[in-house]
Order: sequence, then C-alpha cells, then structure tokens
Amino acid sequence: MLSFEAKYRQEAMAVPPVYALGLGVLKIWIGRFYLGFWGLVALIFGTLGSAAWFWRVLFAEAVDKTNPLLNFIRGQVQPPPPEVGLAITFEDGKGFWWLFIVFCATITFFAWMMRQVDISRLLKIGYQVPIAFGAVFSSWLTIQIVRPVLLGHWSEGFPLGVMAHLDWLSAFGYRYYNFFFNPFHAIGITLLFGSAFVLSLHGATILSASGLKREGVTEENINQFYWDFLGYSIGEVGIHRLAMWTAVMCVLMSNLCFVLSGTVVQDWNAFWDFWNKAPFWSGFGFN
Amino acid sequence: MATEVYREPFERRTKTVRYLKFLEGLADTQIGPIYLGMWGALAFFSYLLCVFITLIGWGEQVGWNPIRFLRELPVLTLYPPPPSYGLQIAPLREGGYWQLATLFLTLTLVFWTIRIWTRATANRLRPMVPIAFSAALFLYAAIYIIHPIWMNSWNEAPGHGLAAILLWTNHFSVKYGNFYYNPFHMVSIFGLLGSTLLLAMHGATILATLAYNSHREVDEIESSDEGTHRAQLLWRWVMGFNATAHSIHVWALGFATLTAVAGAIGVLTSGPFEPNWYLWGCRAGITPGIQASCPPVP
Repeated sequence: MLSFEAKYRQEAMAVPPVYALGLGVLKIWIGRFYLGFWGLVALIFGTLGSAAWFWRVLFAEAVDKTNPLLNFIRGQVQPPPPEVGLAITFEDGKGFWWLFIVFCATITFFAWMMRQVDISRLLKIGYQVPIAFGAVFSSWLTIQIVRPVLLGHWSEGFPLGVMAHLDWLSAFGYRYYNFFFNPFHAIGITLLFGSAFVLSLHGATILSASGLKREGVTEENINQFYWDFLGYSIGEVGIHRLAMWTAVMCVLMSNLCFVLSGTVVQDWNAFWDFWNKAPFWSGFGFN
Repeated sequence: MATEVYREPFERRTKTVRYLKFLEGLADTQIGPIYLGMWGALAFFSYLLCVFITLIGWGEQVGWNPIRFLRELPVLTLYPPPPSYGLQIAPLREGGYWQLATLFLTLTLVFWTIRIWTRATANRLRPMVPIAFSAALFLYAAIYIIHPIWMNSWNEAPGHGLAAILLWTNHFSVKYGNFYYNPFHMVSIFGLLGSTLLLAMHGATILATLAYNSHREVDEIESSDEGTHRAQLLWRWVMGFNATAHSIHVWALGFATLTAVAGAIGVLTSGPFEPNWYLWGCRAGITPGIQASCPPVP
C-alpha cells in the first residue's frame, strides 16, 4: 500500500453500490489490485482467451515446439474461412478458436472499461479514463465485429498473432489500392504523429521546470517560454484536454478509415477522381 | 543552476496581446506576446525562402496558371535530382529547386532548435523541449540527408509536396522489402502507438482529477496532493502499477523520443545494412504463413 492509500480505501468502502457495477460485490483488494464484479469478469474471460491463444500458438499449431519465442512471434489464430460467413462454427480448423478468443477478448475489454468506471466512482473522480479506453475498445469492435458483419463474413477480421496481424495490415492497405490515399487514414496518421508530438512537448515541458521551484521557477516561466516561441501557451488544463482528444480522435478516425474500406470504397486511388472530375475545372478549359 | 539570463543581439517581444474568446473554459485564451530575436528571424527568413523556392518550382510545373495550380496542388512535387546526378548540384529544373528548398528547410529546423534552446534558458527552464525536438530533427536528418548521402544519391530523399511524402513512404517501404518486417520500424511503431496510449491515459487521468487540482503539475511534483494521490490510486487499483507526477513525464518523453530515434535507425539501416527486410524476416524465421515461399538459406 502507498503511504496515503488506507484513507482512500476506507472512503471507497463508503461509496454506495449501484446495479451496473455489480452492486458492490467483491469490493476487495488483492494486493495492489482492486477486484470488483467487473474485475472478476475480466479475470475469467481474460484468462480463458489468453490461455486459448497461447495453447494454440505454442502447442496445438506450433511449427517448432522447441522454440516458444519464435512461435510467439510468428504463430497465429486465423479467422474462419469466407465460406463460413457469419455462422458460429464449432469446428476446429474452421476458425472456432478465433471466434472463441475474439468473444473472450470482447467481454474482457468491456469488463475492463466497466472496472475503470467502478474505480473512478470509488475514487470520486471523473470518467475520462473509461471514456478514453472506450475509444480504443470501439476500434476493436469496429475492426473485428462491425466491419466483418457489414461484409457478411468473419474472415474479414484480422488473424490473432504478432507477425500475422502485420501481414494482414500490410495486405489490407494494398487490397484497397493504397491506404496512403485514404483521407481518413491520413487524418488518423496525422493525429498519431500529433500524439507523439504533443506527448513529447508536454513531457519535456514539465521536466524542464520540475525540481527548480527553490530557484523561483513556476508554471509562469513555462507560460512565458511558450508565449516567446509560439505566441501561445495553452495552459495546464488545456494541454490535458488537447492530449486526451488528440489521442481519442486519432483512434476514432482510424475506425472510419477501416469501416469505409470494402463497404463504401473499394479503391482509395479512384476515390480521388471526384477531385479531377469536378465540373468546376471544365469552366477553365480543363478535363 | 545558473540564474544568468541569456541575451540575444536584438531582442523584441510584440507589444500586443490578444484574447481568443472561443477558447474560454477550454484552454488559456491569451495570444502573444511572441518573441522574435536573432534565431527567430533567421528561422523565419530561411523558411520563407524554402516556401518561396517550392512555390516557384510548383508554379513552373503548371505554367503559372493559378487554376491549374489549385487543381494539381495535391500532387505537385519538387522532385530531388535523378540518381544519375548522385550527390552533385543539379540544374534548377532537374532537382536544383529541391536541393535549395531542402537546404533552407534544414537551416530552418536548426535555427528553430536553437531558438527554442535560447528561449528555454532565457526563461530559466532546462532545455528539455529543444532536446526532445532534436530527436525529431534526427529523424528528419536521417531521411533527407544522412541516408541519401550514404547511398550516394539525393534521389533517395522524399520530394516536396503533399502526395510526394505519402508516395515516398510507400516506395521506401517496398524498395527495402516491406518495412513491416523492419525490426526498428516495429519498435518505432510500438513507440508511436504507445505514445498515443500514454497521451490518452495521462490526459484523461488529469482531466478526471481536475477538481482536486492535479493539473498543477509543477507544484504536484514538488509535493503531491490529493489530486495526484487519487490519480495514482486509479492506475494502481486498475493495473497494479502507477507512475508519479514526475515519472509520468519521463515515460512521456521516453516514448515519444523512442519513436523518432528508432524510426531514424530503421531508415539508416535500410540499404547499407539490410537491403530487403522481408528476406531478413525470412532468415529470422518470423514470417507466418508465407515462410514456405522464402528463398532457401544458402
């Protein structure tokens, strides 16, 4: 326990239970971890799904049983073949294990989000953390469930494996001609690099002032520094708003770029024909 | 720590301060006063030159027709010289524009780094922001300068244009046998996605504990208070581990720097050390499914 932790645990015990968070059953701590109803759900399904994946990759489908590291890197659990459609198959070799692990993972991720809601509530703080986690959970739902359902077969989901999902991603980009021309991919990537940029700026900024308080350095020095070189200082609340929403929008944009591919747009290069064929240009003698 | 304040040959801050009303309640609203200074002026003028040269190159390509310029803007490109020129100075229309624009772009970034450095020390901060920025500068230098010089051809560098950057990224990956198999690229992407994750986690955590003043981070590092305590307990109870008000910013800087530095190493090793990352993956035995189609090991 941290030095100040006991007080907050007592405070948490007094928070009234609600139905959606398991009515306060299992409001206990196991070592550092809080359990709670959703924690137990996450534990059970997380263990089941992970155990199934490791068993398939390290033992059942292992290429070389003597080299677990190599199997971990290149092993995979493939989605059902296209002819299965959206059926729930129980046939080994027809993608049952993919369905099983995706099912377990989906429940685990949802339970993890609810667990964050639970803990946020016990600590009497806002729900921004589960909201941000919800963004990335929506990404999992979009890619593994919504898009395959829209296209009518599970085989659209990505294979579960370290190198396998890289292969899938690479092939996915070229399958729709070239993902570099997908405008939502471009916005997503911009926000992705933007995230690294904002993170770097914020981390460096705080570290540049920390521990200098005895010499009279405060956040006013940081403000003046930013006014000096950018003309604008976003402020200590603003930077965290920018941080959270840059990261969240990055994930939401990538959802769009995935779900539009194959459903609405088949070729992201041809997509840009709308620009070249705009009637506007013909007025100036083009086309 | 020295308290001596850095002074530049000519110092000037703008006198006007404006306020952006629409930002009220979201972020600080004050705009300015911005500082110019010698390095700021140098950065500004060399960037102006870079843009000017680029616009001349693009303008020539569309015959100075403004409508055609607008129509082709997404694909207009200043191309680097063809490989036959090697590292020589090329005629303007065969890559000379690109060489000039790149020269001034590089100067801009160097001046800008010095500007941030001098502004940080002038405001009695440690120069952590320019140090972090130099990681990005290293990635830029790897792509535009070091790799092309090593490969003896400016043609290896990206052209200047919107589509040109995307096409270069695509071609560079394919040319060196698919960057997905480049282990440094993997580490860089790990840092990139990790950065987004950390950013979401940190931003959300501080926003959730705003009511307890956790956003006053410089003070919280000195002596942590209720806001930071609640934020720490959130992560401790969720995942069994928590950072402190100080260490989360070390994680932040570390992940963001890793992205740029690992990316730069990935670019620099492509060509001189590994001509084909797919074959590297084959040799390492990590290509699933298609391992069978790998060429036999000699």
